Amino acid sequence: MINSRAGYGKIEISFTVNGEPKKLRAYPMERLLDVLRLKLGLTGAKEGCGEGECGSCSVLMNGVLMNSCLIPILQAANTNIQTIEGLAAENSMHVLQQTFLDYGGAQCGICTPGMILAAVQLLDRNPQPTTEEIREGLSGNLCRCTGYNQIIDAVAEAARRRNSA
Amino acid sequence: MRANPSDYEMIAPGSLHATVALMASEPGTWLPIAGGTDVMVQYAAGNLRARRLVSIWNLPELRRVEVTDGELRIGAGCTYTDLRQHPIVASEFPLLASAARWTGGIANQNRGTIGGNIVNASPAADSLPALLVCEAELILVSARGERRLPYVNFHTGYKKTLLAPDELIQTVCLPRRYASYISHSRKVGARNAQAISKVCIAALGWVANGIVEDVRIALGSIAPVPLRLRETEQALTGRSIDSASLLLARKTAMAEVCPIDDIRSNARYRTTVAGNLVVEFLNRLGPGRSHEPAGAEDTSDNNVLERWNRLPIEKATGAILPCCGSKAWAQKMSARRPISNEDSLLVASNEVWRSLAPPDWMEAFQSHPRIGESKAAQAYPQSVAWSAQEQRGVTDDSLSVKKALADANREYERRFHRIFIVCATGKSATEILSILQHRLNNDAETELREATEQQRQITEIRLRKWLQG
Repeated sequence: MINSRAGYGKIEISFTVNGEPKKLRAYPMERLLDVLRLKLGLTGAKEGCGEGECGSCSVLMNGVLMNSCLIPILQAANTNIQTIEGLAAENSMHVLQQTFLDYGGAQCGICTPGMILAAVQLLDRNPQPTTEEIREGLSGNLCRCTGYNQIIDAVAEAARRRNSA
Repeated sequence: MRANPSDYEMIAPGSLHATVALMASEPGTWLPIAGGTDVMVQYAAGNLRARRLVSIWNLPELRRVEVTDGELRIGAGCTYTDLRQHPIVASEFPLLASAARWTGGIANQNRGTIGGNIVNASPAADSLPALLVCEAELILVSARGERRLPYVNFHTGYKKTLLAPDELIQTVCLPRRYASYISHSRKVGARNAQAISKVCIAALGWVANGIVEDVRIALGSIAPVPLRLRETEQALTGRSIDSASLLLARKTAMAEVCPIDDIRSNARYRTTVAGNLVVEFLNRLGPGRSHEPAGAEDTSDNNVLERWNRLPIEKATGAILPCCGSKAWAQKMSARRPISNEDSLLVASNEVWRSLAPPDWMEAFQSHPRIGESKAAQAYPQSVAWSAQEQRGVTDDSLSVKKALADANREYERRFHRIFIVCATGKSATEILSILQHRLNNDAETELREATEQQRQITEIRLRKWLQG
């Protein structure tokens, strides 16, 4: 039992964000997106539509891609959250960050954090996706700049670099 | 207006028992929330009337799948991703697997649950017609106990259900007896991902000796509830599939639906599409495509695919493997089922082939005998027979050409460290020799590209033969 009786008040939430344990007080229905951006200063996840249509608020919860705008913070208690800020290691970019740069996969940047996290989950589950599988894996993430082809090329290239590494 | 989180109370009791006890203590007060893909949307828009929520996300009692001889029992808290990844759903319930694939995008499939989809009771939900045609039953649970009822009666009107204020859906039970039926589904919408359907269909059929023995058709977005087309089903049962029965089916279906105009589409379009979808399904069942009970021999094109679509994944992988020789290719092809026709099969094959890594290509190359020989490093019985047919032209040529070919083969293997791959069908030994000598001039990268292209052509020819049974 996470919390026996919350009442109409704030509760204490413990969870891990990008490997760091966090403890904070919040109303249980506060959205994970707002907690990340406003309470923890992690502004990588963006609010696009606020209703699970655009994917720009995507994060990984226990390694699984989710829209943080649809997660009440109570449901994130005791989980592991990964945001775009936690992706790069010390001084080197994640391979997907590098290929997005190399292939022009990012323009205005609003969709990019969610797009990259969706690609992270895709390649975790399917290291050699076909183009069709890449399109499907990213189908919940909308981009209004690139026309998608550069993004798809970037993900395909990341898969190749990983497999040949 | 946006909601204020301080107006809401929320509890995560952590067990099914504690959840139903809470709901029983104040019936109708506590709104269950699982993955939040509907509730949080209403909340964000300031439209969520319930002020007290009980989280049932990830309750272990609701997130398991039980397989018995007769049925699949899916916990109501299973997500669409859980469904897509379950091997029995993939092999025996293709209608549900496609619906899960078409619902939202990946992030929503990771959160949206089958129970939530049923309780939200949208007439446009993609998975509900699939549950209707396979005679799903629901187990509802409350502090008072459990009850089991047929899903078909669950929706009583637009967004109205038989669920009592203190009840939850615990399990969705799917009988396995329709696994060998021909199935058909389609979503008509602006796009598959994210978009909500304008019309969607799920249908199952059984045809023997050209006569429709059993047919079950359900549509979404054409009535206040997901609808079984009982009259259309009745009109078709016992008839052969011909132009008269297609006409009758279209007319009956169009009269049976009662769609509305809304932002996504209008009633006239939906009615027309409903008729088209029913006819499309019947064409899949239609003459020359009927199937016999398991065990009977039938060698027409489509039946090879139909049978293959219904095989468990390991068997399907083994069945298609000799067409290419790469296990990764065969697995990915099987994962793409159902594949409905030759064109889609060839498109899928080309895509999968190009997506593979060099070791997978190598595995396919090794399943061929050296040109001019009959024994491969790693062959399957069917591929030995095909190789012999493909290389028929080579065996007719003179000894001197054969000798030159053997020398060139050796030279090729020394340079590129693998056997020479060429699509030999219809080519003589002399032609192949000149191709081989030309390709010896390629650099490694160009030659690998050439070899994979040749293998792609071989696979295509073999797939066509395979479809002929």
